[in-house]
Amino acid sequence: MQSAVELRTWPRARALPNARVFVAIVVLCIIASAAFASWLPLQVSIVTVFLFAGPHNWFELRYFLMRLPVRFGRSRNFFLTAFAGLGVLTLAYVSLPFIYNAATWSEEAWSTVIATWNTSLIVWLGALIWLRSKQKPRANWGWLIPLGLALCSLNWLGPDFFSLAIVYVHPLIALWFLDRHLRRTRPAWSRAYRRCLYLLPLVLVGMIWQLSQTSSLADSNGLFWRITQHSGAEVLPQVSSHMLVSVHLFLEMLHYAVWIVALPLIGRAASRRFWDVKTVPVARHPKGFPRLVAGVFVVAVIAVAALWFGFSIDYATTRDVYFTVAIAHVLAEAPFLLRMI
Amino acid sequence: MKALLFACCVVLFNAPVTSADLKPPTKPAEQKVTETKYILHTGLEIATDPKAYEAKLQISQSQLQSFRAALDGSPGNPAVVGGIAVSAPRTIIAGLLMFLAVSIAGVFLARSSSFGRTQKALAAIVLVAVLLGAAAIITRGNAGPPGSYRWRNLPQALAKGEPTVGGVDIEVVPDDQLSGRMRLIIPLKKQNSPGEE
Repeated sequence: MQSAVELRTWPRARALPNARVFVAIVVLCIIASAAFASWLPLQVSIVTVFLFAGPHNWFELRYFLMRLPVRFGRSRNFFLTAFAGLGVLTLAYVSLPFIYNAATWSEEAWSTVIATWNTSLIVWLGALIWLRSKQKPRANWGWLIPLGLALCSLNWLGPDFFSLAIVYVHPLIALWFLDRHLRRTRPAWSRAYRRCLYLLPLVLVGMIWQLSQTSSLADSNGLFWRITQHSGAEVLPQVSSHMLVSVHLFLEMLHYAVWIVALPLIGRAASRRFWDVKTVPVARHPKGFPRLVAGVFVVAVIAVAALWFGFSIDYATTRDVYFTVAIAHVLAEAPFLLRMI
Repeated sequence: MKALLFACCVVLFNAPVTSADLKPPTKPAEQKVTETKYILHTGLEIATDPKAYEAKLQISQSQLQSFRAALDGSPGNPAVVGGIAVSAPRTIIAGLLMFLAVSIAGVFLARSSSFGRTQKALAAIVLVAVLLGAAAIITRGNAGPPGSYRWRNLPQALAKGEPTVGGVDIEVVPDDQLSGRMRLIIPLKKQNSPGEE
């Protein structure tokens, strides 16, 4: 049996003295994002998604490749389950719009289909957690079973609300990644970062308080309508769509900032050369796959360029396609985050 | 033969006469409303427009479809109607899963050695309270502050020309109650001026 090759991907770096600068940047990012998201939510949303959606996926892909071991070893079952679930759930999710156009099912039937997909997602996450817990015998993750069942129950009560919750929770996962990353690479900054996170609920409460009484946004054209729908304007008709779009955009901006700026720049100096394939352990290792990794990077760059081109030609359609296909990166975050816990 | 023809004629000529007493089938849309009927709950914004010459009631296309679906008796868009647990099968599945969740959580709690007896009792009380609270919220989706809370500052907002947003129940009432008009009822309590009892 082949033993796992443990890679020291993130050696503990020396704590730098400029933690205050880091805190100032984080606080500035949070406040600036909240201000822009509250001020012109639709316009800033269009610009933000256009500029950062593709690049953030590229950086996320690179980060996941850096976390991927050369040999799976005793994590073989974990990664097989992760990739199988990722493929099946993504295909099922992408096929839903096509089925919707082809089939004439009732709204109730569609709710059942969505609830089934959400349940499959929870079951897949549960399987990954179970496999991961076997590698961490000291960890007591048994309480996650009733939590998962309770989430399944809530999902069946309101599948649309559960799907909307995924839309809002997903950007926050990036903050969790950054927390784990800081604990490994900049432990001196970790405590300061966590203190900064206390600001997040305060800002969110302030935004909700300020924007809950505002008029709903004018979704007069197809693009604005798509943006408000994506933020849950149809699921929560009594809530101001201005507030929904602003809150979602605020979280998305933080999400993009973490993946594009924070994670690539915080760490070893070598890892900051994000264009260099040799900084990826899977490519650098003697038994690694440098050509495959280089090929993946090039294809990803072409995909980002194609996304920009698509946004330039038909922004609304490209946005629809992007947010459908992007479920893959939402799902991919789960196994890699579990590997860091 | 003559008797048979006579019998056929009697039957044929009597058919329209006898069927004339039957009530013709009415379409659902043509059914007359005889009592107040609750349609759905949605949001309402009251805004002023100094440039407008006539009051306007703006309804989005999706809301109009929801009204139509509700009037036709179909469930319409469940997200707008209420969203939570309008389907019996889904409610049953959700109930079973919640039962399993609470049962397993209780077993974990009881078997856990890291909690004392008092802590376990407290945790059980919190668990039951959360469960009852969640059930209350789910069964009464509008629970929370009363709907009138959002309308309390409507007069001041109208005076300032600012919009006010709140919930609204849409009801269909018999024709004789409104005589061709629409009526908007705002839940505002009379505010006594200072010194007035």
